[in-house]
Amino acid sequence: MRDCGRTRWWKGAVTIADIKSSIGELYAIEQLARGASAVHRLHPMAKLIATAFYIIAVASYGRYDAGGLMVYAFYPAVMMAVSETPCRFLLRRFLPALPFVLLAGISNVLFDTQTAFFIGPVGVSFGVLSLAVILIKAWLSVTVVLILAATTPMQDLACQLARLRIPAVLVMLVAMTYRYMGILSDEAHAMFTAYTLRAPKQKGIAMAHMGSFTGQLLLRSIGRAERVYAAMKCRGFHGAQRLAPARRAAAADWVFCVCVCLFSVLFRVVNFSYLLGRILV
Amino acid sequence: MHMADALLSPAVGTAMWAVSAGAVAYSAAKIKKDDLDDKKLPVMGVMGAFVFAAQMINFTIPVTGSSGHIGGGILLAALLGEFPAFLTVTAVLLIQALFFADGGLLALGCNIFNMGVVPCLFAYPLLFKPLVKKGLTPKRIAIASVVSAVAGLQAGAFCVVLETLASGITALPFGVFAALMQPIHLAIGACEGLITSAVLIFVYKMRPEIMESLQQKTKMACVPLGKTLAVLAALTIVTGGVLSLFASSYPDGLEWAVGKVAGSSEIEAGGGVYQATGEIQSSTSFMPDYNYKDAGEDVGASGTSVAGLAGSVLTFALAGATGLAISLFKRRTGEKGAGAGA
Repeated sequence: MRDCGRTRWWKGAVTIADIKSSIGELYAIEQLARGASAVHRLHPMAKLIATAFYIIAVASYGRYDAGGLMVYAFYPAVMMAVSETPCRFLLRRFLPALPFVLLAGISNVLFDTQTAFFIGPVGVSFGVLSLAVILIKAWLSVTVVLILAATTPMQDLACQLARLRIPAVLVMLVAMTYRYMGILSDEAHAMFTAYTLRAPKQKGIAMAHMGSFTGQLLLRSIGRAERVYAAMKCRGFHGAQRLAPARRAAAADWVFCVCVCLFSVLFRVVNFSYLLGRILV
Repeated sequence: MHMADALLSPAVGTAMWAVSAGAVAYSAAKIKKDDLDDKKLPVMGVMGAFVFAAQMINFTIPVTGSSGHIGGGILLAALLGEFPAFLTVTAVLLIQALFFADGGLLALGCNIFNMGVVPCLFAYPLLFKPLVKKGLTPKRIAIASVVSAVAGLQAGAFCVVLETLASGITALPFGVFAALMQPIHLAIGACEGLITSAVLIFVYKMRPEIMESLQQKTKMACVPLGKTLAVLAALTIVTGGVLSLFASSYPDGLEWAVGKVAGSSEIEAGGGVYQATGEIQSSTSFMPDYNYKDAGEDVGASGTSVAGLAGSVLTFALAGATGLAISLFKRRTGEKGAGAGA
């Protein structure tokens, strides 16, 4: 009996730890963004354009072109090393994106069984090839976005969004949501701890209590929003947020941006890994 | 329900970007025109953060023992109104795409449409509002929440199916994919609806003015939904049509664009660099095109794939080694710098 109780306790503790760790994750990326490497110093707009161009180039690859895609691994590898973004962090963040990608990829293995080529005696089907392409694409596109976020502070990104003519309301919403999600998660964490202490033999929150629990969190959030509004009003808020002007892009920023875009197109046309393979094999 | 970049073609991705951008611009203009009091802006921002916090709390789904969390589109719409709710959901999705790898940058347009436009701009005004038109009661709130959440998630899941299939990355047949997605999202939608209704009823009992003021306000300023629909439909057709022009005849847009810039297409390359690169591409690429599949086995092709495979592995290793070398170099110089400093 006691043992059973203990495991349940342990399970409850895991869920609390989960919330705590996701709050930690929120702050982890913000701390990374405060670095001072060459990648951090690049102009945010140059990074944004380069990332968008890179992702479109990667997404434009055909179903089976795993070889051609390989060369695109250089960009995240170099950016990761120069910006000193830990690889484990990127891998951990990649996991939530996996299930849906895997569902589509594995179904390709089941439906697309024609053999593409042989590695020794083992035949590789087109489905397996397309699964590889999907996984590589997912890894590349997720990593470059995370590197962008881990090397650019939120205010700078918000500033660039405003420059891209994204409506001011939305830019402000993004900035505020980002600012407050840690605080409200702390609130949720505190409430959840209180709940678990009163219901120790239960994993998570019972469906029956979900309405009042979430509703309570909601009312607390609204209460906080009212206090936030009062504080903003005291500091001269009149319906629009002021953003600090961004620094002007230097020549080096544009060289970086143009290089990434050019190489994305070049390697889209020239199959680098095949050429390399032919030189050596 | 977040879609990933890996499953989308650039044509579908950018078309949905255009549609979602149109919806965002329309909503922002609408909010400005309705002269939203500036008190509402902080509430919207904090509500976006609330969705994050609420998603961290898992609830136990009865019988199954598994757990899930809420999406929040209908909930936000019922508390803020459709246009502020849509922009709040958009902000949440943008942050998820940038900082949490939940859906990618290219897929952001699709995700905003499936999880923002569909529940906030369609399900809420078309289902929720008419169902509570006669006045708010707990029963009406419950029915309206469940109906609109289920309908919103079904429509959203169906959009996921359509967008994925239009991209042509997965080999999953339409019927199988839909048969997988729709029932799963029926269950998720029912849960979402139940929780939404429970939260709304709780809020309605504790602070009735929050929801009542919204319902009265929207009754006075009725929204021209037909116009929204027309704008969105036009945007979809225009962008989808233009992009599918080259998406259909060529497997990918970028190749087409490169060919266009050079003044000729890839196969009948006019000359110069593009001819050379075109030749290299068509003669050497690992899997030259989709046609390759029909070519069957021949000795030349298998020879090609050996070089392709070796090159791929090597390229990947080289990329990794470059990264490793840079970080090792940086660490060494960093240590030296620290040593010199001490």
